[in-house]
Amino acid sequence: MKPPRFAYHAPRTLPELLETLNETADEAVVLAGGQSLLPMLNLRLAAPSHVIDLGRVPGLDSIASTNGSVEVGAMVTHYRMETDAVVAASVPLARRAAGYVGYRAIRNRGTVGGSVAHADPAAEWPIVLLALDGEVGLASVRGWRSITAEDFFESVYTTAKRPDEIVTSLRFSTRCAHRWGFSEFQRRTGDFATVAVAVACAVEAGEICEARVAIAGVADRPVRCREAEAALVGGSATAAADAAEAASDSVDPISDIHGSSAFRKRLVHAETLRAARQAFSANEAGARDG
Amino acid sequence: MTTEGAPRFFGARVPRRQDDRLLRGDGRYVADINPAGVLAAKFVRSHEAHATVASLDIEAAAAAESVKAVFVGEDFAGTEMRCVSSYLGFQESAQPILAVDRVRHVGEALAMVVADNEYLAEDASELVVAHLDPLPTVVDIDTALDAGCAPLHPGWQHNAFVRRQIETYGFGDTCSAAPHRVSIELHNGRHSGIPMENRACVAEHDPGTGRFRLHTTTQIPHLVRAGLSWALGVPESLIQVIAPDVGGGFGVKAQLYPEEVACCLAARRLGRPVKWVEDRREHFVAAHHSREHRHTVTGYFDDDGTILALEADIAVDMGAYSVFPWTATMDGGMAMGILPGPYRIREYSVASTSVCTNKTPYGAYRGVARPAACFSIERLLDQIARHLGVDRVEIRNRNLLSEGDYPWRSPSGLVYDSGSLLESLDAVLELGDHEGLLKRQADARAAGRLVGVGLAVFTEQTAHTTQEFKQRGVPIVFGYETAKVRLDASGTAVVSASIHDHGQGLETTLAQVAADRLGLDLEQIRVEYGDTEQVAYGAGTFASRSAVLAGGAVTKAADAVADTLRLVAAHILEAAPEDMVVESGRVSVAGSPNQFLNTSELCRLIYQRPERLPEGVEPCLEASRTYDAHPGTGAYTNAAHLASVEIDPLTGKSRVLSYAVVEDCGPMINPTIVEGQIFGGVAQGIGTALFEEFLYDQAGQPLSTTFADYLVPVMSDIPDFRVAHLQTPSPHTIGGLKGMGEGGAIAPGAVIASAVEDALSHLGTVTVNRLPLTPERVLGYIDAANGSGASS
Repeated sequence: MKPPRFAYHAPRTLPELLETLNETADEAVVLAGGQSLLPMLNLRLAAPSHVIDLGRVPGLDSIASTNGSVEVGAMVTHYRMETDAVVAASVPLARRAAGYVGYRAIRNRGTVGGSVAHADPAAEWPIVLLALDGEVGLASVRGWRSITAEDFFESVYTTAKRPDEIVTSLRFSTRCAHRWGFSEFQRRTGDFATVAVAVACAVEAGEICEARVAIAGVADRPVRCREAEAALVGGSATAAADAAEAASDSVDPISDIHGSSAFRKRLVHAETLRAARQAFSANEAGARDG
Repeated sequence: MTTEGAPRFFGARVPRRQDDRLLRGDGRYVADINPAGVLAAKFVRSHEAHATVASLDIEAAAAAESVKAVFVGEDFAGTEMRCVSSYLGFQESAQPILAVDRVRHVGEALAMVVADNEYLAEDASELVVAHLDPLPTVVDIDTALDAGCAPLHPGWQHNAFVRRQIETYGFGDTCSAAPHRVSIELHNGRHSGIPMENRACVAEHDPGTGRFRLHTTTQIPHLVRAGLSWALGVPESLIQVIAPDVGGGFGVKAQLYPEEVACCLAARRLGRPVKWVEDRREHFVAAHHSREHRHTVTGYFDDDGTILALEADIAVDMGAYSVFPWTATMDGGMAMGILPGPYRIREYSVASTSVCTNKTPYGAYRGVARPAACFSIERLLDQIARHLGVDRVEIRNRNLLSEGDYPWRSPSGLVYDSGSLLESLDAVLELGDHEGLLKRQADARAAGRLVGVGLAVFTEQTAHTTQEFKQRGVPIVFGYETAKVRLDASGTAVVSASIHDHGQGLETTLAQVAADRLGLDLEQIRVEYGDTEQVAYGAGTFASRSAVLAGGAVTKAADAVADTLRLVAAHILEAAPEDMVVESGRVSVAGSPNQFLNTSELCRLIYQRPERLPEGVEPCLEASRTYDAHPGTGAYTNAAHLASVEIDPLTGKSRVLSYAVVEDCGPMINPTIVEGQIFGGVAQGIGTALFEEFLYDQAGQPLSTTFADYLVPVMSDIPDFRVAHLQTPSPHTIGGLKGMGEGGAIAPGAVIASAVEDALSHLGTVTVNRLPLTPERVLGYIDAANGSGASS
């Protein structure tokens, strides 16, 4: 469990970083908090020739509320998402989800940009992005572009990011931030989710007019469940149960040592039910429920 | 011997003296040891569970940067590891140092790459290409024992290392006459101790003298030396084994491993020190496994629940090889012996099979078979209670041994020396607020929640020595431990003991014992262990024996040294030796406290002014003693555990809400250390109950090879503990001490299974019989309970 040999780069500016990445693109990986990359290197699941460290590049760690959205720099840590006042006020779903990422030591070092670039299908940030109609900002020597969360995540550890690009920011829309729920099944506190569900709803005249339901841990990427979303709109008495039923029916998860497909479908039911109930309740920043 | 005043340190909550060093990072572990010119080894391991080795392509690796050697099976072919039981019919296995023509489990070493550092060694190891021709794999007990299954070792008749059977004379008649019987089949997941520090060793060989020095992560330095001596064909005088600070053992490190032999052989071949530091991925497949038992137990009982007879069929999946020094019979034998547990059971029939499969070999883990035995007998007691509609506490009260039963000769031939079973059960109900738990359970049920209460009682054989181990058929009988006590001219003492402290706190507790016997302060005592050149012969630390045996040996040796102090002081003070009192840094005359010599002054006189010694007394304040806790049948600790558990009805996830332990290990040298052992043991037991399992697929591929897949309990899974003590001394041991290092880990599986079953009892009847209780398994029990109709 020692990494293979690689060249280490520590650029001091974004242009320098992008230039280095451009020169090494196909053989390089970008190091942010290192919470996923370093284990992959040590297990030799990744063997890049170049590792480019973002740690000394300024300007990638701001959190800003703009009109209708919150923009978060890629190097913002999970811990800051958990504690930042702008996040808490504008996208409380993101704040809640941050507390489920690993445990404190991981949240202190791991970054939101690193998480979405890594694209683990069981991770929290991808479903939060999906639920909040988010976008991912990308930069390269060719310029800057933004891509919707739905288009960004392609498969396990695979995204629309090109090899010469880095993730610079995440943008969360506040349109659906009014009512929300987040529920996750972890074997132990701090584990990867077996299943996690994020629910975000827009409210008009006291009624849920738009709902977004995103699920982690059931496919090769985070998925939205339109049937569950439809069940939540209007908020009937059985909406949460209907959404849970619909979500569970819509997924076809794999079986592995952490659970059979049938078990995961039941978890989708349970966690969707809980997330939807949270969305229907007052959504005060309450204690995490199990 | 003069009776001294009350002990100053025995029984005191003295802080662990090693913690300051360890917590500041000043510990010295094997990985910290770097002799000049040291090379790094990396093992290439089999990716097949069972295969013939067609060829190994090592050329590219041998030519890689800084590589000094690539060793393969033929290089070490003259050396192999066997651990042979003397039981009739035992089938021997020969474990190669590096596989020669066949591999028998994923993770078995095929080649050893030695290079300048670990990085380059690992780079080169990836260039070794192993051509393996797969053979049919055997990954479960039933397949292994099927008559059509080809034996896994040459010359074998079948895939059992050994089969054993015992039956009491009256068993058959008693069963036929019994009005009731209940049977249950129980499964325990394969798992292990998972120390924080992986294994590691550094081997050096001096060509001039032929001497080996091996620094290694072991609990048993002398036994490692003995095993190396056999494997290498070198006398023990030429082998020094040193276990410095060791980061947890739990039984995993109580074994001689092929890697230790390989590093010694490589160091001799290359003329340079060779170091190997195991990584965690290797640890999961190459450090031994444990705990995988399958039991079928049947209880025969009368109308009021009195157990008349017990029948058991035990099978243990021992993996591919019989390991040194335990043999592949250890768990099966221990389970046979202790399965009747703390109950007044007189008739017993048991068969036990140690099964060979294509899995990582199997060795000791804290509790050795007792967690499985406790799971079986306690689950059986719960089934008997349910069958008769009797309360779970009441059924135990009717069957537990009581004071008048001791010494109790169990139907398997164990002799329980003493205990407080009924008292501990009573006390734990109080300590754990049984009544309150039941009330909260009723409230929770009314609110649609699933809350259960579980309990277990057990007796634990500890500090067993000659009598026990000679029956176990092991090649070395672990009959005693040794301690040397030496007072120097400045009046401070060095205690050298044959045990090892890798978390047990013996560095502190042995100092407490010695300080009292020598009348010194703790700061004046240094305890050393772990280096075979420094300490006298003994077995090491395992089987809840070190405080009793090393404590006893320290007592004897310190008393012998104190006797010399008395003789000389009496001579100088012109008093009778039997009137001398050794305490508080002085040797004084009983009844005349003003007549005294400071111990430090006395020590100086003895070493430096020999003309002041009485005739016939040597200027030597040193004694070495062994202690065997005669008659060697063991000192029996007992405990009762009570817990409550809540289950998420939607996901099956269980959470331990409360946990209480009342245990009786006799007089305690240091209650804080005893409690620390209980906390740690219960935490590991919660892993047994809820989380830990090495899973394999049908091809014998291990599926749990990182901490993302093999789950140990974390802080948030551990409830607050309540612990209380009873103190019933053993009639067999010095000070009445009993061992207790393993106890905490024994009961949690039984307790939590009992609680989960109880949590579902209002839904319907299910029998919880498989550990660990993963959420998916618990959901299965919930479904079964819901489908079984209303409970009785």
